[in-house]
Amino acid sequence: MIEVRNVYKHIDTGSQSLTILHDIDFSVPAGASLAIVGRSGSGKSSLLALLAGLDLPTQGDILLQGNALQALDEDGRAKVRGQLAGFVFQSFQLLPELNALENVMLPLELAGVADAEQRAAHWLERVGLAHRTDHLPRQLSGGEQQRVALARAFAPKPAVLFADEPTGSLDSATGAVIADLLFDLNREMGTTLVLVTHDETLAARCSHLLRLQAGQITEWLAADERTLLETAV
Amino acid sequence: MANLATRWAPLRLHWRLFARSMAAGEYKTLLLALVIAIASLTAVGMLTERVQRLLLGQANQLQAADAVLVSDHAIAPTAAQLAQQYGLQTASTATFPSMVSFGEQTSLASVKAASASYPLRGQLALLPPAQNATLRSGEALIDARLQAVLGVKTGQTIQVGQLNLTVSGIIDREPDAAFDFSSLQARLLISEADLAASGLLGFGSRVKYRLMVAGEEAQLEQWQASMKPKLARGESLENVRESRPELKQSIDRAERFLRLAALLAGVLAAVAIVLAARRFALRHFDTVALLRTLGASQRKVRAILFSQLLLLAGFAAVLGGALAWLAQTLLVWLIADQLPAPLPAGTLWPWGWASLLGLVLLLGSAGPILLTLAKTPPLRVLRRDLSVNVHWVWQYGITILAMVGILLQIAQDIKLAAIVGGGIVLALASVALLSYGVLHLMQRYFKRGSPKIALRQMLRQPGLLLAQLAALTLGLCGLWLLTVVQNDLLAAWRAQVPANAPNHFAVNIQPEQQAQFSQLFVQAGLPQPKVQPMIRGRWVLHNQQSVKPDSYAEPRARRLSEREFNLSWGEEERADNQRVQGPPLNQQQPGWSVEAELAEQLGIRLGDVLTFDIAGMPVSAPVVNLRKVNWGSFRANFFVIGSEVMMREQPSSAISSFYLPKTQPQLIPDLVRAMPNITVIDVGQVLAQVESVISLASAALRLVFVMCVLAGLTVLLAALDTNEAERRREAALMRSLGASTRRIAQIWWLESLFLGAVAGLMAGLVAAIGAWYIAYSVFNLPWLINWALPLYSALAGMALTALTVGLRLLALARTTPMLMLQAD
Repeated sequence: MIEVRNVYKHIDTGSQSLTILHDIDFSVPAGASLAIVGRSGSGKSSLLALLAGLDLPTQGDILLQGNALQALDEDGRAKVRGQLAGFVFQSFQLLPELNALENVMLPLELAGVADAEQRAAHWLERVGLAHRTDHLPRQLSGGEQQRVALARAFAPKPAVLFADEPTGSLDSATGAVIADLLFDLNREMGTTLVLVTHDETLAARCSHLLRLQAGQITEWLAADERTLLETAV
Repeated sequence: MANLATRWAPLRLHWRLFARSMAAGEYKTLLLALVIAIASLTAVGMLTERVQRLLLGQANQLQAADAVLVSDHAIAPTAAQLAQQYGLQTASTATFPSMVSFGEQTSLASVKAASASYPLRGQLALLPPAQNATLRSGEALIDARLQAVLGVKTGQTIQVGQLNLTVSGIIDREPDAAFDFSSLQARLLISEADLAASGLLGFGSRVKYRLMVAGEEAQLEQWQASMKPKLARGESLENVRESRPELKQSIDRAERFLRLAALLAGVLAAVAIVLAARRFALRHFDTVALLRTLGASQRKVRAILFSQLLLLAGFAAVLGGALAWLAQTLLVWLIADQLPAPLPAGTLWPWGWASLLGLVLLLGSAGPILLTLAKTPPLRVLRRDLSVNVHWVWQYGITILAMVGILLQIAQDIKLAAIVGGGIVLALASVALLSYGVLHLMQRYFKRGSPKIALRQMLRQPGLLLAQLAALTLGLCGLWLLTVVQNDLLAAWRAQVPANAPNHFAVNIQPEQQAQFSQLFVQAGLPQPKVQPMIRGRWVLHNQQSVKPDSYAEPRARRLSEREFNLSWGEEERADNQRVQGPPLNQQQPGWSVEAELAEQLGIRLGDVLTFDIAGMPVSAPVVNLRKVNWGSFRANFFVIGSEVMMREQPSSAISSFYLPKTQPQLIPDLVRAMPNITVIDVGQVLAQVESVISLASAALRLVFVMCVLAGLTVLLAALDTNEAERRREAALMRSLGASTRRIAQIWWLESLFLGAVAGLMAGLVAAIGAWYIAYSVFNLPWLINWALPLYSALAGMALTALTVGLRLLALARTTPMLMLQAD
């Protein structure tokens, strides 16, 4: 599903070139869940951006369901994202002037889905917000905003869901509820999940784990090894 | 069905984004700027159009028609038939000199034979006024002069050629008298039906034929356009403006005033749109990044962004149009008493133009940013510091082009557009230099506390500071030009036509009659009128080349070169005759002083040798100087004045202009009886028209001003709104870091006072100097620079910016830092 081959990412800081990702190489099968963990500045979000085609690697290949992202232009990558990917962000990224229902409808309408409104309403119901469809983001709590973001991410039935610190802006109780909802929906929809997080307990719920330090993979656990590990514990 | 729904889905999304953003108040400043721009330009445009039509209609009364075809031979019936085909009304007159007798008395009179429909514009007024002024066959109307000379009464019979006509009334006023050169003689008005029977139109008669036409403007233009190529020799189409220079000057000035007001309203509105549109575009960064992340192509993003602009422009056009219609209806209702006649209906063109201008400005200022915005990297959803840079040429070039286009479109006069445009550039450059200098100077002296923070904040974003200063300066400058200056300009204009401007001319005064002429005034208790020599001459040679009227492309120049000139000598310079080029005439050497506008039309330059045929003798001299004449003074003015040495001995009569109060109507019959050869021309009607043009223009301007002030205030609002969010965030941060409200207030007060003072000072200066330049070069009015204006303007600027700080402080007191940071 996701294949990453010898990926490097350099950035120019003016006077010198900085390598923020170094020889990243792994693959994740369809339906699996991958947790990307590491300290601040280790390159987690940069890697997520590359996997989602929001940015391009300096070197190496990334294939998202067989689509070589670096071979596509900006619009081509946007098309792949529109067809395959859903997103959940730490800062929710809802459009402030649209209400909950309209925020969920947005990706469906961009894809030209005919029954966008019914589908969006259905997904708001799934995340427990059937009664708040016409509320604007600022009228919703942080947890509720993230539920709207989850509904928006799942509504187009994406093959991959990219989540960047989805509980990072929430208190622990709300964070736990959102995490449960995320994993439940993910399992139910058979979506491949890529999750960037600081939270080790959240990471532990994923089938795969990738730990970054200074842009390099320092730990890689695939599903089989994790099962073994858990059995051993 | 599903297909249809899919096809309409993007449109629904565009509409929803627009509707929701509107409801959320995201577009309020831009919408306000657009609505005010469209409303003010439409209202100004509609009002200007309607007032101009009224002015022209009023002026047309002076030629008794909307258009006139003049000919020295009988006009072919096809011309009138063509006018009737276009749905126009027609009337015709034939004017010629003839002897009229009553018993033993005879007199030379100017006979006018008119069709029943004469006059088409204005009214033929009789004495006493109650009488019915219809022209019937077998009857004649005569003027007071002819009545006095012949000693005839109403009801008695006079003889003209083979006709016996009953005098049915005394003419008080003919609408087109001032346009008719033959009105120098006593007048006899007869019916066209009697003309053939009179036997007066034999071979060699000097007859002037007029075909008068009136009706709708569009049809008139069509008729004139189709007549032009068919004009035979001796035929010409006459225009009211060309025939009376004093009226032309006042109508031109009124139009310039209105256009200047519209121009300033346009510029102010444009600045407001540009400021608000930039903010609109920059606000969309996050939305675009999200749309790109969710899979929208650049094309789709652009479609969404531009649909927002178009919807906004459409919405503003409807709102602005409605507001303009309401405003100008109200305004017209308010000035209804001051109008000489009801205002003609307006068209929708000004609204169409204003909406188009709004759209052009909107696309010009926000378009380039939006186009580039579509390239926002989707990565911005994760890294907010990422943005796209819009090349400055792209960003500002199109805005500037749009502004220049608008200046030219509204001004329709390169000079006026250049003055306003140049004034803007000059004001902005001075503001930038002044504020830069003052800020750096202040940095040297204020090294601690609130002043230091205030200075640092302003210098941190010099571009933003300059933008705010520029907008404030332009806004204030526009307001001053429209209020203080406009009023002063109008007052100066009014002062040009003195309260007792001459309302009569007396011509053909013989040298030996001058003493008697003056004596009659003294006896009547009136001041002695000034008498000037007048010599008739035909222009024959220009630099030894014979003058060929056909060689001039301009019809006006052709007519001017053809006609017989009234020449004079003696006084060449006075308040209403200012020398603009060349030295004064040396009275002991031959030389001409020529009116500057005439010289320009006829291609006459300083040093050119002009030869006039005066009573059969050529008189040659070089052009020594050019004069600008204020025709509005209503004194006897001459296109060409010669030096004493070559004119003194020429056969001459004299001309005099004088003011005759309504309370002394007896003087004219006394003058005519005592000196029958003298002709008195009443220009009271022309004077009244000029006065009505001035009062109409001032009334209209006062109304236009309301819209302009609204436009100016919108600019100020937009300017102060540009960094409102940033200010809020700063305050929240400073308060989070422990700064007291007092400290924040101090910083803001200092900033605002600086902004207000610099912008106000420059605005006042530019307005004061600009007004002087406009008065001098566009309106030809005497003008003094108002040096107090910059001071008042600086105070007003400070008060205004202080007010916004006050409002901001109120908001600060009501919220917590957390809320303010979240709101951002």
